[in-house]
Amino acid sequence: MAQNQEYTLFLGCMIPLRHPQIELASRKSLGALGITLKDAEGFTCCPEPWNFKGAGLESWLTVALRNLAVGEKKGRDMLVLCNGCYATLTEAAHLAACNGEAVKGAMDKLKSLKLSYSGKSSVRHVASVLQDIGVDGISGSVRRPLKGLKVAVHHGCHLLRPSEVMGFDDPFEPSVLEGLVESLGAEVVRYEGYTDCCGNATRDTEASLRIGSEKIAAMKKAGADCIAVVCPACFEQFDLGQVEMKRRLKVDHRLPAFHYCQLLAIAQGEDPESLGLDRHRIDVKPALVKIGK
Amino acid sequence: MLKADPGFKKTLSPVEGAGKLSYCYQCSACVAECPAAHNFNDFNPREIVLASLIGVADYLTAKDSVIWQCTTCYKCYERCPQGTHPVEVINALKNISCAAGNGPEEVTSSRDNVLANGSLISPSEAIEKRRQELGLDKAPVAPAGELKKILE
Repeated sequence: MAQNQEYTLFLGCMIPLRHPQIELASRKSLGALGITLKDAEGFTCCPEPWNFKGAGLESWLTVALRNLAVGEKKGRDMLVLCNGCYATLTEAAHLAACNGEAVKGAMDKLKSLKLSYSGKSSVRHVASVLQDIGVDGISGSVRRPLKGLKVAVHHGCHLLRPSEVMGFDDPFEPSVLEGLVESLGAEVVRYEGYTDCCGNATRDTEASLRIGSEKIAAMKKAGADCIAVVCPACFEQFDLGQVEMKRRLKVDHRLPAFHYCQLLAIAQGEDPESLGLDRHRIDVKPALVKIGK
Repeated sequence: MLKADPGFKKTLSPVEGAGKLSYCYQCSACVAECPAAHNFNDFNPREIVLASLIGVADYLTAKDSVIWQCTTCYKCYERCPQGTHPVEVINALKNISCAAGNGPEEVTSSRDNVLANGSLISPSEAIEKRRQELGLDKAPVAPAGELKKILE
């Protein structure tokens, strides 16, 4: 089991300011695995890779490279809990290594802040750090296995694709995250379209909800008791989104959603009551009942 | 009648890998798994690449263009046998659309919000109360002034 790993925690916006219960579970569960998360000042929004990147590549890249430069000054790799942060910071680091035109413009702007990014420190997604720790390391921290819980794993697009940049797993047949869920003692259910998008980023609200709803229907058809994600945007689509699906599409799925670190914390023996799960919009109780909580 | 502009493709940002559209041979591999194409009859990544290649893309950079339905799932990027990166062509079109003042209000205001506050989401008393209940420290404050300094 890998121990005494230190990372600078890059929290992003959605987790600390909208879903702090995910932050809490992540701090507790990663701490239990011997991972030290160092808080740091000076970060801004990553910025998110759908709207902001669409609004203007160079300013998106400048803000991203600034965050990377601030992280690099702390002298260690950064850990993110969000696919959006992962995609933006990883792509920005990749573009910096390629040193294209937009990068030169962005780097020039950073000079006025006396900042630069050399590529020495990198950005790690929590799923990838957990992959390094390994299934045995994770199972070693489990006190109450999630036996009897059937989990539908949703990777989220930006963790997997573009695979040549993100480098996490196969873009169409990923299995790493499923292995991490199994290491908690839970059963993974594969469902049709398991690598499909949650639909959050499409502009039309109803289409967005339809995409998410089709995916949840496939999870339920495969027998899932809950959804595991590693991204707060996917989480929001599958949690609050179900409330909207009921209202606008007249579909009442009621399938609880968790960030992987929440399931990890529960399996490590944290009392679900202490994790703020009552703030989820879809009641998590039916999933907890399956594991006798 | 539409007037073709063969020079248009050169205005797509090369840094994102959007400048490789000349390699597209219109096979439609990008369309099969596209969630936006499944939901919108007028959204077709193959056609978007073709229109950009020929330079008849005004309708794509106009207000309320269909390009904003792209979910950025990057399946087209992976499926394309020619490395055309349709999603990056779409991102470049979004950039052109916003630069012309045609971007959706929610997109530009979200960007402006980040530039002004350093964060996508504004801190609030309610969220601080929840953080406190969970035993978490106050949310970190983003140094918004630094972004203003370099981007205004």
